[in-house]
Amino acid sequence: MRPILLQGHERSLTQIKFNREGDLLFSCSKDHVINVWFTHNGERLGTYDGHNGTVWTLDVDTQTRFLVSGSADNTLRLWDIQSGKCLYKWEFPTAVKRVAFSEDDDQVVCVTEQRMGYQGAIRVFNINREGDGRDQSPEPVSFFNPTGSKAVVCAFAHIPSLILTGHESGKVALFDAKTGEEVNSNQRAHMDLITDIQLSPDRSYFITSSKDKTARIHDTRTLMVIKTFTTETPLNSAALAPKKPYVLLGGGQDAMSVTTTSLRQGKFETRFWHKIFEEEVGRVKGHFGPVNTIAVSPNGDCYASGGEDGFVRVHHFDESYFRAKPYGDLEIED
Amino acid sequence: EDAAEESNVSAELIAQRKRLVDEWNAWRIRAKEELAADRSRSGKKPAPKEKPKEEEAKE
Repeated sequence: MRPILLQGHERSLTQIKFNREGDLLFSCSKDHVINVWFTHNGERLGTYDGHNGTVWTLDVDTQTRFLVSGSADNTLRLWDIQSGKCLYKWEFPTAVKRVAFSEDDDQVVCVTEQRMGYQGAIRVFNINREGDGRDQSPEPVSFFNPTGSKAVVCAFAHIPSLILTGHESGKVALFDAKTGEEVNSNQRAHMDLITDIQLSPDRSYFITSSKDKTARIHDTRTLMVIKTFTTETPLNSAALAPKKPYVLLGGGQDAMSVTTTSLRQGKFETRFWHKIFEEEVGRVKGHFGPVNTIAVSPNGDCYASGGEDGFVRVHHFDESYFRAKPYGDLEIED
Repeated sequence: EDAAEESNVSAELIAQRKRLVDEWNAWRIRAKEELAADRSRSGKKPAPKEKPKEEEAKE
């Protein structure tokens, strides 16, 4: 598996995301900048300049037309992907920690941080796709404050009238997007902060990663835990690999290895686990600091990791990866 | 290489893995049915559109 190193960010990566075709990779960072790269050669196609703080999160629509980003400068921004122009800016009292498009690209959900007298909030905005995209409503179509442990990650669930959230306490929950009512929750999905949430293509299940050193697959409707992947390190990101029964996990370093390995050796790993057998199948080293974010291309032919070290590494899978059937010929449902 | 490795796997482990895959597949089939029901109730198409891009662009 040959890695391509994407150099351009000056500080740690916060989130990376492929577009639907997988030919472009978007990355955001504590350096205030969003970059877009060609996946096949790692060349930088452009940047999205304007945020005045850490860009915590981004998402791309299915048409690769609009990009949304959320930042510590307390703004949510809508960008025109092709021209690199900021089309609209929503301002809040606190930082935006997570954004996500709906399946139809017609809405965006975001989580803002709880801070200095402001409760954490979930807001849903309609995205007007008519015209040049500059004509957006400043008001959310829905706004609510989840009570209890604060929400840190969010996405639209299997139906767009439900918002899926991951919380500081390790809880996952489903909220009615209109009323803000909590319609389902699993208080003990994790034992510590949830760091990432990524849904399957049909949104019927999702994977979470947590500081409790585990990643878990849950049924979206019931929030029941289906699979658990137990590692030795706090996890920052977890991704599902399309077309292969693997999940990819990234985080820090094993407590055991900290004294024996140097930061300079690039020992921080992306771990591959078998999705069904809950067994580790391999590791890919390379980063000089914790792995903060992992994404797999929607067509399953490559993956990327973004590190605390400021690098993005893109790995195109070898042909042997697609041929390999390490556990025999069992047919596995998507 | 793979074949050699496989032959070392015990029959018990193979049975265990078969059971796990069967459980997973049963859950996936059930989950997909329930998803389709939820989506049709909420006025959505039964499954996510595979290639909506070109069609939408034409409209």
